[in-house]
Amino acid sequence: MRRVLAAAVFGRPPSVPGPDPASGDPLRAVIGEILDVSPHVITVGTEEGAEERLVIAPWAKAWRGTELPPADVPVGSRVTMRTRREGRVVEHLWADITRATGVIRSVEGRKDLTVELDCGPHRGRRTVMIPYRATGRLRVRHPYLEPGFLFDAIGVREDGVTKALLPATSQPPYPARSVPPPPPAYGGVQSRISGTVVWSDVFDSGERGAAYPMVERSDAGCPDAEVSCVGLPYLAIGSLLAVHNVCGNRSGNVPIVACGCVAGRFCDRCVECDTGARGRIAELSPAAFVELGGELAKGCFNARVGLG
Amino acid sequence: MLAAQLPILIVLLVMGAGAKLATVRTDATPGALTRLGPAVLVPGRWRAPALMACAVGELVLACGLLLTTFPIFRYGTALFFALSTYVLLELRRRRPDAGCGCFGEVSSTPVGLRSIGRTVVLTGMAVMAIFAPVPGWVPFIEPSWPLAAGLAVLAVLSPELEEAAHRLRYRAPCEQRPSSEAVALAKLKASGPWRDHVGTLVSQEPRDSWRELCWRFFAFENRDHQHVVFAVYLSGLRPAVRVAVVSMESMPESTPVSV
Repeated sequence: MRRVLAAAVFGRPPSVPGPDPASGDPLRAVIGEILDVSPHVITVGTEEGAEERLVIAPWAKAWRGTELPPADVPVGSRVTMRTRREGRVVEHLWADITRATGVIRSVEGRKDLTVELDCGPHRGRRTVMIPYRATGRLRVRHPYLEPGFLFDAIGVREDGVTKALLPATSQPPYPARSVPPPPPAYGGVQSRISGTVVWSDVFDSGERGAAYPMVERSDAGCPDAEVSCVGLPYLAIGSLLAVHNVCGNRSGNVPIVACGCVAGRFCDRCVECDTGARGRIAELSPAAFVELGGELAKGCFNARVGLG
Repeated sequence: MLAAQLPILIVLLVMGAGAKLATVRTDATPGALTRLGPAVLVPGRWRAPALMACAVGELVLACGLLLTTFPIFRYGTALFFALSTYVLLELRRRRPDAGCGCFGEVSSTPVGLRSIGRTVVLTGMAVMAIFAPVPGWVPFIEPSWPLAAGLAVLAVLSPELEEAAHRLRYRAPCEQRPSSEAVALAKLKASGPWRDHVGTLVSQEPRDSWRELCWRFFAFENRDHQHVVFAVYLSGLRPAVRVAVVSMESMPESTPVSV
């Protein structure tokens, strides 16, 4: 709505959300619950109540806490799948994957740790369990496991419990309140900004949207917005972000649907394909992230982002 | 002669206090205090109180110097600047990256010999003022040439002046500057396109308002049930204002937006 009105004022055609047709064979994300799985075919029940049968590609990979053959993913798991050929062929699937991103409020426990996170004003709090076997791996990348510092981990959701298994980033060394200021932008804003794009699972299921840190606090009703260590231009909820995945060479337009007040506090780099620029520009919903060629278990990709 | 520098001391103390209070008040922006002045020498949770205490002390000294001849304020001022010199030396040794924070956020350039030289000169002025026979308001009324000389010396020793000049010359681009919705609405209501369309609007309060890059959009509804959208450029005193009238039927299905 806002997008169409803004386009009308400037007399330009409104851009449309979705993948850029020039990016090649479009990827489609399919999200659902596994009803049946065999080495070659998987049947999932989607949110809309439909049943979809998809072919598993011979090169397909699966993840559920660790890499495993697709046929070993248990029935009943909630999967996010990256598919080709108009959603017929699965090439990558992630089962029960979840991501816990926020500011640490408390850490309890001696062997298995229980971490309470503050995920921002409109996302509330969340409790994450770190099993003993994963604590070493997480602590290496999260040296300050104490209140006030940032936390970002990928894990699985089992029986309603979020278990963090992999660090999604190297923890920023500053407390969440002390985000470094953006570099001065004397020359003017570039039309495309480089940085990191991550995903988050706090969006509605199947939604294709993004959370962006630089929205006006009064517009978004988000007191923690407008914080980022990248010199980002102001955009609004409803604007369209043109995201180009530098790692996978895919582009697409994603609407901004929320304020990314936690994402803006991370001044980290994504080292998945190359050392990228510092700072998180946007947080995508899992479906949008997968359709832009991102891999959920890796957690991020380097991107160039502009106004769509 | 001895009292000639009192106005400088008073004005600087008041300016320093005001700037510090303003910096503390804008601490809503996280990290603002992590780079500033003596506050970085104390633990994080004491930073704002330390700046506040410093500002209140400066205000008390300034009032005392202005209105009275009590020696306690004069000795206090001399002690304050002598201590500042020591703190700046210590800051330069321990945190060479931190700004002096003397005038709050604008003093964010790392402490250099000029900042330290300035506090030495100010200490000298404060010591002279101890022996001044009149209260601080007298030289305000009868300024003398040593006052001008003192001002010139301080201007040379102030990195903040250059910083302020740079900020004026190279402002952050409009797309990255925060801007108030109320100001943009006021500018819209003073514009020509508004006067052309105001008669047709159902209400003068916008139904929706949002900001994109350097433009703020206001959406209204007119009596023909059409959207009237104004876009106000966020830079300049008389900014460009654009307007479009869009019929409701031409709108596509709106995508749901969750906040």
